[in-house]
Amino acid sequence: MAATRRLQKELADIRDSGLKSFRDIQVDETNILAWQGLILPENPPYNKGAFRIEINFPAEYPFKPPKINFKTKIYHPNIDEKGQVCLPIISAENWKPATKADQVIQALIALVNDPEPEHPLRAELAEEYLKDRKKFFKNAEDYAKKFGEKRPSD
Amino acid sequence: MSEYDDEDMDYSDQDDYEDYYNADRDVMSPPHNPDAEYFPVQCLSVDEVEKFLNELVEQLCTSIHVTPSMSKVLLYENKWAVQDVLWKYNEDADKLFVASRMKTLQPVSVKTKRDKFVCPVCVGPVAEELGITNLACGHCYCDNCWRCHFENKIKQGVSTELSCMALNCELLVPEEIVLSTVNKPNLRKKYQHFAFREYIKSHPLLRFCPGANCTAVIKSKESLAKKAICTQCETSFCFKCGNDYHAPTDCATIKKWITKCADDSETSNYIAANTKDCPKCNIFIEKNGGCNHMQCLSCKFDFCWMCMGDWKAHGTEYYDCSKYRENPQNGSESAKAREALKKYLHYYERWENHSKSLQLEKQTLDKIKERINSKVMTSKGTWIDWQYLLDSATLLAKCRYTLQYTYPYAYYMDNGPKKELFEYQQAKLEAEIENLSWKIERAETTDRGDLENQMDIAEKRRATMLQDFFHI
Repeated sequence: MAATRRLQKELADIRDSGLKSFRDIQVDETNILAWQGLILPENPPYNKGAFRIEINFPAEYPFKPPKINFKTKIYHPNIDEKGQVCLPIISAENWKPATKADQVIQALIALVNDPEPEHPLRAELAEEYLKDRKKFFKNAEDYAKKFGEKRPSD
Repeated sequence: MSEYDDEDMDYSDQDDYEDYYNADRDVMSPPHNPDAEYFPVQCLSVDEVEKFLNELVEQLCTSIHVTPSMSKVLLYENKWAVQDVLWKYNEDADKLFVASRMKTLQPVSVKTKRDKFVCPVCVGPVAEELGITNLACGHCYCDNCWRCHFENKIKQGVSTELSCMALNCELLVPEEIVLSTVNKPNLRKKYQHFAFREYIKSHPLLRFCPGANCTAVIKSKESLAKKAICTQCETSFCFKCGNDYHAPTDCATIKKWITKCADDSETSNYIAANTKDCPKCNIFIEKNGGCNHMQCLSCKFDFCWMCMGDWKAHGTEYYDCSKYRENPQNGSESAKAREALKKYLHYYERWENHSKSLQLEKQTLDKIKERINSKVMTSKGTWIDWQYLLDSATLLAKCRYTLQYTYPYAYYMDNGPKKELFEYQQAKLEAEIENLSWKIERAETTDRGDLENQMDIAEKRRATMLQDFFHI
């Protein structure tokens, strides 16, 4: 299976590269199509917590895009209450088979760091983000502290 | 366009014999101004369109030395304007190819050493019998991966937009590479079918007939928001946007209006924000004044708008109502919402009403046909004698149709003298149309001259309105 071979290579590459912003990668031995990991955004207000995500690769990978879900609640205009995220690079129309999981994760972290209120999943948060940045930051920080996981210290 | 006197004249009709009869019919129909709305179109079959597009492709191939498939992409990316492509080609061929997604500015260097090649997509060694293929951008993958990519995209309905597999590379895959790689016959067929449809869609002078189950393609000489009529299924539509013909309103405005009417959001928002059910009889109540002491018109129950409780309990100490929270901003917001809704409903009711009248008048037309038949059968004149009645009903439909489409136009107009003039003319048109409708419904007792006079007036009003306000 093309997906298995490629995912094994990608997983090994990501683990070797020792990314600081994506760590604690857990992949079930029996199912390489489901990954879990912890993202550590650098920008406030999200730098107060760590967020667990799940990446599910389809059997047709890399010809069809992976899906990403947040397992940790996050106060973000582009991520909804169910943890679904709107990331253009993995939409069915935009997906390119040569895109690596590592590039997808980088794009995700960039989106978490800098929300895009122009195409929000949660319109009310986008509005708050644009109109009352201070209040938005406070809410997002409270959320990160309350629901976020602890950031590994190293 | 003034040379065309009859809207129904067939564009492709060059037969003398037919012309003779068309001319004859002109004499029978009431005299009217040259029809400013006349829009000549041609109805093509799939084979004819294919021939037409192939001619353009060949024309470009012979002028500049490119393969037919490259020529197709150039035309697809440049709205099929051959002259435009030639001009750009002579100006700066590379720039044209980059803009048309056939070349990239800095192609990746091509590694042709096949034995050491590892395909970045499947990250495996390439099997002995498999080839590797790179596009003009230099991105190289094994043929197996290309095939999977193409098959997956074709299943999604992608054809002309099929692009390279590399991230951020929008280079288009040439048709011959797709066809030489994909070997499943049904997918090849799908690909060609989808691509053909895309080519037609990308040509500004071609349009699929929107009629149900109609396969015709309509071709015109200009891309204008005018009334095109399919000669195969007789569906009429706006050539530019493909929706129902909508003069005097323009394409963007009518789209806004239709969307607005479809979601009807304003009505439901308003009802949600401004009405409550009577606590006793559950009828909808709209609060249209500031006082919170309400009395239901239906059951005369007195209650408090804030807490929905019996008003008697409030006594004189109204402001002690514990649920009462007045947000001063709310007042003005809801007043604004109410005003906006009132305006919308004014235009919507008229739009909807004329649409219904059009339906009803279709029934009148059927009745007229029946009546003519029975008159002819009982030897009260010939069929030709009664033809004017049919003409009048057709004209009535045409006028009312235009009138219906004046309402969205007026809704989006800014206040001012222009709008006043528009609404003045609109009112005049409306009055004449209602007169005409009245006279047609009572055609037995109406004098033929009187009716024809009324037809002339209504059509003149309509033509003036379009001339003054429908600029395309």
